[in-house]
Amino acid sequence: MMLLKIAFRNILRNSRRSLMTMSAVAVGAIALVLFGQFMAYLILGFQTTTVEETGHLSVFRRGYFEFGAGNPAAYGIGDYHRVIDLIQDDAVLKPLLRVVTPTVKLFGIAGNFDINASTTFFGMGVVPSDRNRMLQWDEYHIVRGGGRVPTELGLHDDTPTRGVIGVGVARILGLCKPLRVANCPSPPVEAPTMPTPTPDARQPSVDLRELAQRDRDVSHAGEAGAPRIDLLAATAGGAPNVLSLYVTKAERQSVKELDDTFIAMNLALAQQLLYGRGEHKIVGIVLQLNRTQDIARARARLHALFQERHLDLDVRDFTELQPQYNQVIGLFGAIFFFIAIVMGIIVLFTIINTMSMSVMERTNEIGTARAMGVRRSGIRRQFLIEGWMLGVIGATAGLLLAAIIAVAVNHAGFTWMPPGQASPIPLQLLTTGDALLIGAVWCGLLIMATVAALIPANRAARMPVVDALRHV
Amino acid sequence: MSTPKRFILLAALLAPGVSTHAADAAPGAVTAQELVVAADRIRNPQQPFRLTDTLVEYRDGKPRDRVVLIVFAREDKDTRQYSNLVRYADPPRDAGKMVLLHGSNMWFYDPSSKASIRISPQQRLIGQASEGDVVTANLARDYTPKLVGEESLQDADRKERRCWHLDLAAADPEAVYSRIEYWLERDTNRPVKGKYYSDSGRLLKIAYFHDYQEQLGTVRPTETIIIDAVDSNLVTTMTTSDYRLQEIPDAWFQRDFLPRLKAD
Amino acid sequence: MTTQGQIPDEVSPQVAASSSAAGPVVMLREVVKTYDDDGLKVTAINGVTFDIPRQRFAMIVGPSGSGKTTLLNLIGCIDTPTAGEIEVCGQNLAALADDLITDFRAHNIAFIFQNFNLYPVLSAYENVEYPLLLLGLAPGERRDRTMALLESVGLAEHRGHRPNQLSGGQKQRVAIARALVKRPGLVLADEPTANLDSRTGAQIIELMHRVQRDQAVSFIFSTHDPQLISHAEEIYAIRDGKLVERHSEARR
Repeated sequence: MMLLKIAFRNILRNSRRSLMTMSAVAVGAIALVLFGQFMAYLILGFQTTTVEETGHLSVFRRGYFEFGAGNPAAYGIGDYHRVIDLIQDDAVLKPLLRVVTPTVKLFGIAGNFDINASTTFFGMGVVPSDRNRMLQWDEYHIVRGGGRVPTELGLHDDTPTRGVIGVGVARILGLCKPLRVANCPSPPVEAPTMPTPTPDARQPSVDLRELAQRDRDVSHAGEAGAPRIDLLAATAGGAPNVLSLYVTKAERQSVKELDDTFIAMNLALAQQLLYGRGEHKIVGIVLQLNRTQDIARARARLHALFQERHLDLDVRDFTELQPQYNQVIGLFGAIFFFIAIVMGIIVLFTIINTMSMSVMERTNEIGTARAMGVRRSGIRRQFLIEGWMLGVIGATAGLLLAAIIAVAVNHAGFTWMPPGQASPIPLQLLTTGDALLIGAVWCGLLIMATVAALIPANRAARMPVVDALRHV
Repeated sequence: MSTPKRFILLAALLAPGVSTHAADAAPGAVTAQELVVAADRIRNPQQPFRLTDTLVEYRDGKPRDRVVLIVFAREDKDTRQYSNLVRYADPPRDAGKMVLLHGSNMWFYDPSSKASIRISPQQRLIGQASEGDVVTANLARDYTPKLVGEESLQDADRKERRCWHLDLAAADPEAVYSRIEYWLERDTNRPVKGKYYSDSGRLLKIAYFHDYQEQLGTVRPTETIIIDAVDSNLVTTMTTSDYRLQEIPDAWFQRDFLPRLKAD
Repeated sequence: MTTQGQIPDEVSPQVAASSSAAGPVVMLREVVKTYDDDGLKVTAINGVTFDIPRQRFAMIVGPSGSGKTTLLNLIGCIDTPTAGEIEVCGQNLAALADDLITDFRAHNIAFIFQNFNLYPVLSAYENVEYPLLLLGLAPGERRDRTMALLESVGLAEHRGHRPNQLSGGQKQRVAIARALVKRPGLVLADEPTANLDSRTGAQIIELMHRVQRDQAVSFIFSTHDPQLISHAEEIYAIRDGKLVERHSEARR
């Protein structure tokens, strides 16, 4: 087509200016595509981490989600094996489910009383084999593809008295050395406070220390490499309960408050502590699906099932259990949107500028064309196509460059540590499944370029012929 | 140690209760049940009473903290449950604060704010807060005793005593300890020692009863030494004195009445 | 510049040039043109009335500033008179919409400029072909006509060259070919020899004469080149926007 030929040749006419303009468009394309890919990687990575740890759905007693934190024992699910079987055997749910596992949450006081250190803890009881399986979830192949090593829990089904604590807990309880935690200051030694002596206070007639020594239980020394701590909690019945936990490792948690209070142990041990002599219940059932998109379906089926059987249970998904998930996604969306607007405006102004200069330089040409019988719409169309073409070439070049850069970055082995991660992970750009992103960026930039050319094109079209011809 | 915790300690301290729970026994032979009942009687009077309780907390053998409480105790005729009203007398900064133990509910009242708050089982967990549970005297009511045998035992003053060794299992889901080992002096039925176990089977506390003196018509232990088995550096001595029988009105054990109470 | 869909003649009959009819190619009646020059009203044409017969080498002459270019613009329908009537190729276009006037120009009027005004990005061939694209002719016919004209102006071997590779004379020849390729009724040339040396100018004049005779086209010039004027068949002298002299020569 003559139009395209003329437009292309006119672009080449001032090659330097055209190159600058197309580069601006290309940079816009590159920025948007790379950021979009990075964002996709982050979001899916975040989802993967979340689903690995929290699963997709959690089943609770009704009311637990809102009030249970203050009193987990009161919202226990009794006869839970039956509920789990019910869920696992259901025909609709069976093909969707990957892991179904019970869980207990509790809080109490953890102490290393040899050095008089104690702190509150928030603990969870899990079935280690189930959890380890959950940690291998990788629907988007981010972990394997990105070279990330899947995390291991540090608990095992056959070591029911062993547990994992947060690094903050280890620090407060003075367990850094035995757990080999680096950069750990020792806890302060409490200076004993002397009470003001009153005339009533008499010295004890008994040697209290000797008395205490008589029944001292030394069988509770820590096992090799696994220091012992005491966990105290009130049972569901209100009785004080205590048991020993042998700590295998300290694992840094992503949030400091969590890190200072986190303890993970086997389900049986947690139940022992939380329920004592009463019926051993659980606080929640965690479900991990094969695919995230099945959440709505699974949830609907669960609700139907519970209603059928008159079970007082409720279902929550991971975005409710981790409210910042949606906030993070929203944040990314907002940032991307903002960048897109900025890029769009830059492209807009660059092309308006370039085309305006072009129109001015070709005033005489425009007059000639009009004299020869080209309609105003024809003039406008010519310049629009030139603007559009700048956009097409720039955007396409940008997309190609983005593809090259993406491959380079993915192979360069960069790492970073996102919020919510305790250790560095590879930095990757997600290039699979981004057809929508690329299409949207390309079309968006093109629309911008064409719209930008509209103003100068209109000006060219409306030029009075005589004045235009008078120009040199 | 925070103020409410000390109270808790105290609160459960007394709740004396004697259930007239006649157990089957061979005539003439002593039954475990009878022993426990007898021991309960020795520890606490059967009518409403008040006493002064002095608690001293020791760490590594050195005194760290001291508090003096006035305790009012009374058995509810219908439920046979004991209720305690405890008032701080010393130290002065805590004077006037009160703890009410009524059934299984515990309330703390602060006169400066005129507010009462409920103490949950969680808050009774640590330190001296838990001491009071040890001295709960509702043993006969809440536990099923079994006689293990006769043993010789050193008491708090290093004297050898011949004792009945009893093993008590929790009979009630509300019983604080899942198991208690109890040593009563053979001829006098006086409690010498107690070991208190949690639901997990771990030893929580050890108590030694001594300093027996006549109070309100019976020879009672006026000092109890409580050793924390979990935090073994922590020992508390509880010294009771000034026992008095006293009529205590029902109103005193109402939570709403606390602000108007001027107990002495 | 575009292959726009031109209005076919049967749709808007007023656009169809009645070029086959007898009668003057241009008719001016009391034509006035004034414009605003920074608030100052300038009268470029101050009431002219004359006819220009068909198929002649007509020239509008006069000193600079006399209004000859303005007159040419009015005749070429790229400007509209402030007052008076103009008929070109038998059509009065004053009341028509701009698009229709443009289409009329595309079919009937061709321009040759002092500065050649070729498209720098198109080759000689493409420049000549361009007006045919506006008319929507088929590729085959376009090719035939374009080549024919290039041959007739003697530039067939240079057809691939861009204007910046051609001399002034060659460029003007391309312009002439471009003007005539669409077989217009009227060709308007504003100082076509002004940027050429006298020898080249003579050649151009010679060429234009020849094609005028071959294709029976009306030529109207605006010029003060004596060499060109010496070839005039009709002369119209303009001074201060008024017709001061009218001269008719026999065919040369």
